[in-house]
Amino acid sequence: MTKPPAASGSSSGEPGAGAPPPRRRRVDPTARGVWPFALPAVLVTAVLVLVPIAYTIWLSVSDRQSDGTNSGFLGFANYAEMFGNPQFWNSLKVTLFLFVVCLLVETVLGLALGYVMSLDVPGRRIFQGMMLIPAITASVAVGLVWLLIMDPSLGAANQILAKVGIDPVVWLGDPDIAPWSIALVDIWQWTPFMALIISAGIRSLPEEPFEAAALDGASGWRTAWNIGLPLLRPVLTVAMLLRTVDLVRFFDTIYIMTQGGPVNSTNTLNVYGYHAGFVDNEPSYAATLQIALLVLVIVIAGVFTWFRQRAAR
Amino acid sequence: MTKRLSGVYAAYLVFAVIFFGPVLFMLWSSLRNNVDITGSLFNLASPLTLDNFTNLFERFEFGRYIANSLIVAGGSTILGLVLGAPAAYVIVRRKLATLGFVTLLARMAPGVLFVLPLFVLSIRIGGPDSVALNYTLLIVAHLIITLPLCIWLLVPFFEEIPISIEESTLIDGANAWQRFRRIALPLALPGLSVALTLSFVFSWNYFLFALALANERTLPLTVIAFNFIGQGSNDFGGLMAASTLISAPALLLTIFAQRWLVRGITGGAVK
Repeated sequence: MTKPPAASGSSSGEPGAGAPPPRRRRVDPTARGVWPFALPAVLVTAVLVLVPIAYTIWLSVSDRQSDGTNSGFLGFANYAEMFGNPQFWNSLKVTLFLFVVCLLVETVLGLALGYVMSLDVPGRRIFQGMMLIPAITASVAVGLVWLLIMDPSLGAANQILAKVGIDPVVWLGDPDIAPWSIALVDIWQWTPFMALIISAGIRSLPEEPFEAAALDGASGWRTAWNIGLPLLRPVLTVAMLLRTVDLVRFFDTIYIMTQGGPVNSTNTLNVYGYHAGFVDNEPSYAATLQIALLVLVIVIAGVFTWFRQRAAR
Repeated sequence: MTKRLSGVYAAYLVFAVIFFGPVLFMLWSSLRNNVDITGSLFNLASPLTLDNFTNLFERFEFGRYIANSLIVAGGSTILGLVLGAPAAYVIVRRKLATLGFVTLLARMAPGVLFVLPLFVLSIRIGGPDSVALNYTLLIVAHLIITLPLCIWLLVPFFEEIPISIEESTLIDGANAWQRFRRIALPLALPGLSVALTLSFVFSWNYFLFALALANERTLPLTVIAFNFIGQGSNDFGGLMAASTLISAPALLLTIFAQRWLVRGITGGAVK
């Protein structure tokens, strides 16, 4: 969960990447002869990342049966099956719903929490540490805790609601509510993560524009909106990009809490794909779904990167 | 000024209740009886007990699952470091950014995409029946998490080593491997410990690969806890004790290595 998209962004995303400063390429004498050290890692990465992708593409255009036989190249029949399957469109809808709701709320709440986290007061580090915990706790633990909180009869959430006189909510059992409950858990888990990046961004902002605005008598809100937010945009896009890549592949907490149910209301593409492969035993169809998902991730991430580079110009 | 300060602390309190509350609820519930957890939620005076934990170890052999988690997370972390440290060194010395692309794919591709081919491979080589093979497969699968992470965490540490130190050894005729082993690696030792702890925790936390690939004997903590729910267990205290055990490395890490954690989870987006 931790590979930064900045890997490629750092070489292409910097302003003025098109015109590098005329720097002499000094051949560093210590760089000689180090090449072979990278070989094992490069080989392992290739085998671990590229081979599975290639094999999955092959699976998606062939017909592997659950007994392990493969009747060979099939063309795009699996893709046709996928596009003709209402289940696929439902999963796409669920994926996009969770993506939009979670990203939106996590960004807005993350800005608020990020601002609070950026303030220099005694105890800041302890507070930051507390806020780190949701993001680094294993999703299995997160799922289990929220299952208990959202338990319809014995759960903490409904007990608290009862105290203030609100009827119990069927958090995970009602297809109209379950997607929102799942979104709630994701928002709980990842808002502090957004806030962490945002607060680091706020702390590295230059002070001059804010001092100037204060001298002009601009209100706090207007300064934040007109000066702070635009300056923060690069950091904000990175944070949103990281969340985007994870949200489009949303799997862990859903699989732990609802397995895609009730009535497929939380059946994201990734959960659907896992089911197709490991429960329904249709490896080729599952592979097709995974390729579709990979394309979706790349397209959405690509759009983000494109925006980011355009903004940097 | 004090008014502003109390405003900040009021915000601290609100956010802490929202985001830390459920964690506290987990820790607290792991120490309570089932009757108290579900019956009297707000009764702070209810008795505390370690029964939930002793139960896990005595009735459900949790020691075994912890050992499995340790083997997989430890193995993939060590392998990630052994492969990743030389690679990070090369990236820094040759000023490569391109290797990032493949690791970027690893970051973006859905986990199921890796699991499907691994599962097919596992069946072909008899993975489900062999304990040793199964451990190996799990460790290799978890390398997808640990290797990119190790490389990414180590790069800045190698960058900080002044070239002049290594240049001075050129005169002695040290070859590239000796320079790496004797000069660069010892100087990057703090980085190695950072990469070690972080990638251990991330590997420990990872759920999907073991869910699909592990067999009865190699099940790690995350998957066995998940299987508990499948059995319709109403043993909430036990579930919370299991969650606490799963979260333990992460909680310890937040307490002792917060600064590096920030870098690890944001993947370099925050310096």
